Amino acid sequence: MAMLLEPKMLLTILLMGTIVYITYLSKRSATASDYFVGGRSFGWFTNGSAIGGDYLSAATFLGIAGLTYQLGYDGAYYAFCFSIGLTLLAIFVAGPLRRFGAYTVADFLAYRFHSKRARLAAVAVVLAISGFYAAPQLLGAAQILSMFFGTSYEFGIIFTCSVMIFYVGIGGMKGTTLNQALELWIRLGAFLLMVGAAIYGGLHYQEILAAINEFKGSITGTSAFTVDGKDIPFDGSVWTGTGNYFPSFWQTISMTIGLSLGTIGLPHILLRFYTNPSAKAARKSALMAIGIASVFFFFAVYLGVVGRSIFLSGNIDSGVMKDLIAGGNNMVVPSTAQALGGEWLLGLVIAGAFAAVFSNLSGLFIASSGALAHDLYATFFRKNITEKERVIAGKVAIVILGVLYGVLGLMVKGASIGHLVALAFTVAASTFTPIFILGIWWRGMTEKGAIAGLVTGLLASMYMIFFKTTLPEFLQFNVPGLITVPIGFLSVYIVSKLDRRVPADVNDFMKKVHSKETEAA
Amino acid sequence: MAGEYSEYDYVAAGTIDVSELKPLDPETRKIMKGEFSTGLKLTIFYYIFILAIPVLNWFAGDFMFSRMWGGMTYSWFLTSVIAMAMAFIIAFAHTTLYEKRLKNYQKNSGPSEERRII
Repeated sequence: MAMLLEPKMLLTILLMGTIVYITYLSKRSATASDYFVGGRSFGWFTNGSAIGGDYLSAATFLGIAGLTYQLGYDGAYYAFCFSIGLTLLAIFVAGPLRRFGAYTVADFLAYRFHSKRARLAAVAVVLAISGFYAAPQLLGAAQILSMFFGTSYEFGIIFTCSVMIFYVGIGGMKGTTLNQALELWIRLGAFLLMVGAAIYGGLHYQEILAAINEFKGSITGTSAFTVDGKDIPFDGSVWTGTGNYFPSFWQTISMTIGLSLGTIGLPHILLRFYTNPSAKAARKSALMAIGIASVFFFFAVYLGVVGRSIFLSGNIDSGVMKDLIAGGNNMVVPSTAQALGGEWLLGLVIAGAFAAVFSNLSGLFIASSGALAHDLYATFFRKNITEKERVIAGKVAIVILGVLYGVLGLMVKGASIGHLVALAFTVAASTFTPIFILGIWWRGMTEKGAIAGLVTGLLASMYMIFFKTTLPEFLQFNVPGLITVPIGFLSVYIVSKLDRRVPADVNDFMKKVHSKETEAA
Repeated sequence: MAGEYSEYDYVAAGTIDVSELKPLDPETRKIMKGEFSTGLKLTIFYYIFILAIPVLNWFAGDFMFSRMWGGMTYSWFLTSVIAMAMAFIIAFAHTTLYEKRLKNYQKNSGPSEERRII
């Protein structure tokens, strides 16, 4: 009973209750359009918040501040790379994608080339990216549950997948969008309170950076929690410089390319642009999401610096000190929240972390369920499917995905969250990014070119990440975007040039995705 | 509502050799050219800024990691403050220019010429 009254438990239960209520209110999905794209009824504010909710995952909410805390400038550079992608998406893809107006990412290729093979290739890539992205989110959720509520890793995975099956399966895109929008503001609210508390406590950005930069020596009070019983050494001038994570200039450039272009190819983000009523609203949604993401990344980096400053001061509760040393990077935001605002702020951050996991996972579930139910089942196995059957197929797909992702989550126990997220971004940047940019802007792209781009991009990025050590040293990139993105683009271009067989109605397609709209549209 | 999804015909369109492809109609060509040109210019400008940061970090490190405000270095300021604002400014400029073009299109063509998505 006492545990139930703890702020972290109360606020988490409140979040769950709100999710259940919103899901219940949105449960009526009469048509496939309702279920997969929320009836295309969401205005720019709701959809912009939902895109932000989708994009700013647990890895971002907890990870960016954690990376800044650990790596200093190189951690902040991570946030910088993540902040670029949505802008490029807004420029080249958002409007045309909405004018195209389908249900799934694979629909784009299927319609552009009138090709089932292209649809199948796209489904494989959607499932690969979503799987690589879902695994670290589940891993994060299980770790949060384990750290704050003492549950086992396996329980964490099963619990999170069960919540997702309920949340997305019943609410569809409508419930998911509303929940994502709400969850985003919970996270942003938690960050705002933390930033306010830090500034109120006199932890001004330029002053704490100066103090960290001048720190050289051992951190007082850490010896009680280290394995060797010695205080942890720290050199602030190294922390504020570069080279902590990126060993070379080309490593930095490769990550910049991979992460900045990866966003354009993330299926759950692309899908969000189908839910707007018009292309104009799609662009405004993207603009709003970019504004939110920029503020969010700025706060996250600052809070990472605040965490480091608090840690170096040694003037913290021994429990917080222990969490920061033993809990690793993911504990930086919760520990800093506890140090700044006590149990209630910690509770809000924990609820925010769950909101981040649910928000991002629900987007992945919706994108993948469309790939399974709409692209695979309705296209290849049941051609004359009714609207009602399409919705049921979507719900069955959610259950199947819940089980599959659950197994995947259990398999990645102990893996690096950052590594898996980087993999998802690299695959997306090397597959869907070339396909969408060239597919929207170049009439000469052919079906074979598109499939070649998807397959080559997928294989190249997976090989360069999983079998990195088999490559020459100069090709061993942490994020191999510098190599795999050009491979993806060149494969599409070269095969299309050799093939030369473009769809006969490509001009009609271009008219459709680039048509002007009336203000009312 | 701008458009709604309809099922696709996988066989009717067929393919042609790229050399037989007719030019796009002038209006679509104009819209595409306008959008692409604006997007490309903004992207080039944005990427010059983005790539300038690592280039300067690695090749003019003394300057980039020197202090400009308290403990904040030029590099830290550009990466974690200006870059965040830049992402929004570029997207805002793009949306504003798009809306301006949209108004021009509407002014220059009557409602009968406007295409609706089916």
